[in-house]
Amino acid sequence: MMHIPFRVVFEQRGETPRRLSLIVPLVSVLAALFFGALFLLATGYSVFDTYTNMFKGGFASFNGITDTLALSTVLICTGVSAAFAFQMNLYNIGGEGQLYLGLIGGAWAGIALGDHLPSLIMVPILLICGALAGAAWIFVPALVRSRLGTSEIVSTLLLTYIGASLIKHVIYTPGSFFRNPNTSFPQGRRVADSASLDSFGSSRLYPTFFVAVVVAGALYWVVKRTEFGYRINVISDSPRAAHYAGINSRRTTMMVMSISGALSGLAGAMLIVGPYGKIEPSIITLGYGYAGIVVAALARNNLAVIIISGILFSGLRVGGNNLQVTTDTPIHIGVMLQGAILLFALGGEAFRRYHIHIVRTQTQPNIKMSA
Amino acid sequence: MSNTSHEVAQGPHHTSGAAPTALSAHSIDKKFPGVLANDSVDFDVRAGEVHTLLGENGAGKSTLAAVLCGLYQPDAGYLIRNGKRINLSSPRAGLQHGIAMVHQHFRLVDRFTVSENVILGSRDLPYRLIRREIDEKVAAVAESYGLPIDPEAIVGTLSVGQRQRVEIVKALYQGAEILLLDEPTAVLVPSEVEKLFENVHAMTAAGKSIVFISHKLGEVVEISDRITVLRNGRVTGHVSGRGTTDTKELARLMVGRDIELNSQRATHAMGHEVLQIRDLSLDVDDVAVLTDISFNVRAGEMVGIAGVAGNGQRELADTIAGLISPTSGSITISGAMTTDRGPIAAREVGLAYVPEDRLGVGLVPSMSIIDNLLLTRNRQTVVDRFSVRPEATRLIEQFEIKANGPDHLARKLSGGNAQKVLLARELSGGRTATRLLVVCSPTRGLDVGAIETVRRILNDARSAGQAILLISEDLDEVLSLSDRVLVLYRGAVVHEALGEAAELSQVGAAMAGLSSQSH
Ligand SMILES: Nc1ncnc2c1ncn2[C@@H]1O[C@H](COP(=O)(O)OP(=O)(O)OP(=O)(O)O)[C@@H](O)[C@H]1O
Ligand SMILES: [Mg+2]
Repeated sequence: MMHIPFRVVFEQRGETPRRLSLIVPLVSVLAALFFGALFLLATGYSVFDTYTNMFKGGFASFNGITDTLALSTVLICTGVSAAFAFQMNLYNIGGEGQLYLGLIGGAWAGIALGDHLPSLIMVPILLICGALAGAAWIFVPALVRSRLGTSEIVSTLLLTYIGASLIKHVIYTPGSFFRNPNTSFPQGRRVADSASLDSFGSSRLYPTFFVAVVVAGALYWVVKRTEFGYRINVISDSPRAAHYAGINSRRTTMMVMSISGALSGLAGAMLIVGPYGKIEPSIITLGYGYAGIVVAALARNNLAVIIISGILFSGLRVGGNNLQVTTDTPIHIGVMLQGAILLFALGGEAFRRYHIHIVRTQTQPNIKMSA
Repeated sequence: MSNTSHEVAQGPHHTSGAAPTALSAHSIDKKFPGVLANDSVDFDVRAGEVHTLLGENGAGKSTLAAVLCGLYQPDAGYLIRNGKRINLSSPRAGLQHGIAMVHQHFRLVDRFTVSENVILGSRDLPYRLIRREIDEKVAAVAESYGLPIDPEAIVGTLSVGQRQRVEIVKALYQGAEILLLDEPTAVLVPSEVEKLFENVHAMTAAGKSIVFISHKLGEVVEISDRITVLRNGRVTGHVSGRGTTDTKELARLMVGRDIELNSQRATHAMGHEVLQIRDLSLDVDDVAVLTDISFNVRAGEMVGIAGVAGNGQRELADTIAGLISPTSGSITISGAMTTDRGPIAAREVGLAYVPEDRLGVGLVPSMSIIDNLLLTRNRQTVVDRFSVRPEATRLIEQFEIKANGPDHLARKLSGGNAQKVLLARELSGGRTATRLLVVCSPTRGLDVGAIETVRRILNDARSAGQAILLISEDLDEVLSLSDRVLVLYRGAVVHEALGEAAELSQVGAAMAGLSSQSH
């Protein structure tokens, strides 16, 4: 047996010093860049060029910043979806599946209603239908969680797989309502023109971005200032105090989970009224719903901060993908850097919450080395 | 060892002839936003003595204890252990120096056995746990200090006093030489207090040091070798020697004035019956917790419920407050049936309820004082905190709550001040004017000055015509305040007496289950 002469000790902090809340994220990002630099050096790419290209591609160019904001539109919604459930210590891991249902709900309204109503009415209807479909998808997990205490983690996650199959079903089944009848290639049927928004100028950014920001801000306000938010805070902090005060935990659980599902559904509908205009089966490979969980974690589940973390995360992703286009750097490098930054940022949490130090352990004299 | 240590001169309190100083703290400062909780505090404890920290609510006792055991790091000052300077970065570091704290709220896992709890967190466990060996070791440690305990018992089934014993055994098992006991007696019944004090004597006889915190002056006089008085974070007095002081003098040292804990029992007209309980029974998991309870409380009357903890008091209070549905029987408040209607219905007809647990039931720890005031009130769809602010400020003043204003978080209040916030909310009326007040152990954890205030407020409420049900394990309190006393034993009312006529011996016997009905 090998003897390790030291041990890393994690001790939970009684109180987290304020300054750490600022320093830790900063140091985390720097550490991640440093780690990435080592990797780039080892593989023979220019550290400086790679980083400047990434930054330009994600933020410091017209296409970069608008693409970043466009992506953040979806991620802010799925991020708020995850974080809103978390306000009550509920884990909605199935935002991905609720987003699929949002696609279906939005596309259904966009096709079924035809081209009769003005955009100003049509687009909100699509968004609402998407949100309702997302809420419906979480109904059963919410019900069993609030009635029987069944883990919502498992139930929401499993429903995601069913949601993915449902998307495949409605697109690949010949004669499906959602399938484009005019091509033999399986493709979604386009929604009515009045249900499609125009992007800003030559960008790929849609006005739905502002909807996402307003939704995040509004929910932040709801949790901070309203009676509903008050109830959420009481229940999450001490269920027994909620019981004492006559607060109905079951109903609040139902409502919070439904809203969480609706937000992911909304993200799906935004893809319909915005860039896609139809159910595009490849959306199920993009993982926007899962990414929302990361965005929420980066913002430490603060609903307002999600606007920022959503944009930063999107910038990282757009910039990383951009490397491949503007330079000869393979896309995997970009993905690796994204992953490193996220890992470091989330791992930094440990330093905030724990006091970590290294303890030398005494070497025992009679250790037998076994070959 | 992870901590640096180097020689430093002995502390100022070291006197020749006495036992060596085991631990001393020098000019300790500990700031919290807005308060200096410890202000250049010097403190020391010798081997084999009991040194008591005394002071008002919020004086800084728990803070000092937390600094001594490594839970908090002081902003200035240092600690000396056995002549060497030490830095404690965490409670574990404290433990390595033989310093352990028993918190008022126990930190045990209910589903584990006693010995599992005791070894929890130990670093040097073998890979394979041999239960029998550990049980024997735990039992041996417990036995040697006269703390008999069954190592195989599940902690969740133990009484509060026994759980506290587990905490103490755990500290001793981990090698504690210095034990910090933060209000250990607040949750104990008199017989358990006696037991605890026997254990304390056994520990000091074995050369251990005890730092003791309590608001019960009688106990303090009985157990302490030395007493240090804190006020607003500063040391304001030392009293030494057992039996050389009396409780009156201590009270004066603490609060700076004389305290009168007399009660003017009501000589006033009582009104109609506000609370009517008929044939109330409650079974929990097929075990009878309350059986056939019937009594009334009238407007302007205070009825005390005496009894040893765990005889159904908590369930009775929760049932009246609408938190538990009884198995049979009925509850009427102000003429309205509230059985099975839930807590809000009960409050709407004038109930106010101070539960036994403050943080976590009566108060939401992570919320501010303002938000906690709103917990049992009517809230608008958009919560209007602004208009509650003046009232919050007024209550903070009236109840002398030590806080940085209405935004102070409940969990950052000292124990006694948290209790005051809870009392302030429930005694100041909520949804409607209060008609029935159910209070459980209202003065637990309060300093003498605050006890005086609370008793005065309870008396005022009674004079104002409120019906009060006082549930307390503090027999003195029940007897001195109540117009009528009921004794609860195994979920049934076994004794009833008028306040003035209540005989301590008879009530005591009834509490122990030694009497049949004697009206
Ligand atoms: N974590 C904290 N954050 C902010 N203020 C705190 C914190 N802990 C304690 N305080 C404040 O420090 C002061 C001293 O508190 P402490 O808990 O030491 O009092 P105490 O003497 O133990 O009182 P009690 O008898 O009521 O338990 C109080 O004014 C309290 O509000
Ligand atoms: Mg305290």
